[in-house]
Amino acid sequence: MTLSYPSRIVSLVLAATFGGYLLSSAVMIFIAAILPLSRADAVITSALLSFAVYTAAIIWAFAVKNAQRVWLGLLGATVIIGGLGLLLTEWLR
Amino acid sequence: MSKTTDLSIEQGRFRQSMAWLHTWGSLVASWALFSIFLTGTIGVFDDAITHWMTPERALIGEFDPAISTQEQRLSAVTQGENFLRNVAPQSHFWRIRLPSEADPAIGLSWEDDNAEVQQRRLHPVSGELIPDQQQRETQGGHHFVHMHFEFHAGMTGIWLVGFFTMIMLVALVSGIIIHKRIFKDFFTFRSGKGQRSWLDAHNASSVLSLPFQLMIAYSGLVIFVSIYMPAGVLANYDKPQSFFTEVFNQPEHRPETGIEAEVLSLTELFKQGELLMDKPGSFINVEHPGDSSAVAKVFGLFEQEKNNGRLLFLSSGQVIFDAVTGEMIHIEEPETFDKSNAFAAQRIMRTLHFANFGGYTVRWIYFILGMAGTIMMATGAILFMVKRRQKSLNEFGAQTPKVYRAIEVLNISAISGLMVACVAYFWVNRLLPLDVPERASWEIKLFFFIWLGSLLHAALRPASRAWIEQLSLFAALCLLLPILNWLTTGQHLISYFMQGDWLNVGLELTVVLFGVLSVCSIKILKSKQHKAAVQASKLYKTKSEAS
Repeated sequence: MTLSYPSRIVSLVLAATFGGYLLSSAVMIFIAAILPLSRADAVITSALLSFAVYTAAIIWAFAVKNAQRVWLGLLGATVIIGGLGLLLTEWLR
Repeated sequence: MSKTTDLSIEQGRFRQSMAWLHTWGSLVASWALFSIFLTGTIGVFDDAITHWMTPERALIGEFDPAISTQEQRLSAVTQGENFLRNVAPQSHFWRIRLPSEADPAIGLSWEDDNAEVQQRRLHPVSGELIPDQQQRETQGGHHFVHMHFEFHAGMTGIWLVGFFTMIMLVALVSGIIIHKRIFKDFFTFRSGKGQRSWLDAHNASSVLSLPFQLMIAYSGLVIFVSIYMPAGVLANYDKPQSFFTEVFNQPEHRPETGIEAEVLSLTELFKQGELLMDKPGSFINVEHPGDSSAVAKVFGLFEQEKNNGRLLFLSSGQVIFDAVTGEMIHIEEPETFDKSNAFAAQRIMRTLHFANFGGYTVRWIYFILGMAGTIMMATGAILFMVKRRQKSLNEFGAQTPKVYRAIEVLNISAISGLMVACVAYFWVNRLLPLDVPERASWEIKLFFFIWLGSLLHAALRPASRAWIEQLSLFAALCLLLPILNWLTTGQHLISYFMQGDWLNVGLELTVVLFGVLSVCSIKILKSKQHKAAVQASKLYKTKSEAS
């Protein structure tokens, strides 16, 4: 990877930063919903894990390198996992 | 066979992307991360630094809260209460801090009409305001701690630090991935080999402190987890306040009613609080005094010895009163932990980050590992330039030399410039007159001005000169600090030894040691620079002739 395509790199960095953040938020909501703990404990536990998810998402983004695929992957996973998480939050709480 | 080759090609590609991420991600974050890490490492000793920066403390006398009488404590509350009722009857917030080991005066803070926090100190016996000449208004060691977690920029700063800490986490993980021989390299140091030596230094300092760095970055993020990662709370609670009430296991904050009501005697509430906790109190807060919703919180004395060796700190005790009726609303028993397990996990990570669980032994270990981290960042940033000084990689086309120059200037002021600013902060503390208005904030402003000055200096001087000049200034400021202290306060290392003031002895000796190390590094730099300059000019000549 070189720096010769500035716009692609900017897009990749933005995808990793914001897409990764959205995905870790979605995963956090999902984990908080399924953990068999009290509501506050489930929320704290999932939040404590979220930085690891974020790190993994960023590493994945730069391993894939293709900004378009990264955006699609991160936002797609965010919608599915986050949506499922929100539904489960409604049902289980 | 083709399968294994495919796999190794795939692995090679992965490692290459990680190398790219590690190089550029680290570089753009290295200047900020170096400042976060250096100030955090210094901030490990925040109490000792505050101690050194407030030499007038002794004028008020010593105070040991552990052996104070209740009469002394109650009279301190009365003094504070009288002052606050007079000066800030309409305030939203009062706090009376009792004399402590760190500060023998009564500390008062309140919110003024502009919602800004005001602070004053009272003499513990007379209750008189302590005059400027008897105190050195300063943020002391807290300055470094605040630089470390918010750059003195409030919420914006907290987010910035969080952003850079995430980059650090990613840089650590990608660094591990690209590093194939992690243990072997720990024992490898090839000195006098230019770029290779810088890489060895970078690897050795990283590997040595890697577990510490992963822990410190992660736990740092966890301290502000509720700010950085609010999604879980937002999805599960109508308002964040209910989440915190549940977690802290405390009654919810009472909103103001707008109905005027007199606050009961704080002295009396404090006395009752001590009785209920069965231990000495250390401070009392009042939320919106003068309103019928007013709440008073009495806090028990924090006893470090009881928590030494513990990662989960026990409560030092807290009693919450309705400040108008005097009814007890809630009590948190001292020496218990009445909160949930997940919250305990968060608290433990916080304690791990704060390094206050094992006295000065643990602080020194953190200081040394923190220094290893700053060395890792500094050598990483320098390595980037050393590599490219020998052979330009031309990443930015025609702009490449300009970008390299900018990186070099930023390297210098971020590393040696910040070092100068940190020690200069101690100088400012001794040289700034005691009666300057807003003295504490001027100390910090001057810290930033000096740092900015180092940026200008680096921009105006050739890089090799700028490094040496700033390191020389740093060395001089370190080595002369004990003398400056002697000239301005009359106190010195020998008198500290005689009094057994080990905090001040430790601080001045450590600063002098850094001065000596700096002199050594200047010597090495000078001899290397001479050789490198000759080589580089040859290389440059042949290259420009070739192209």
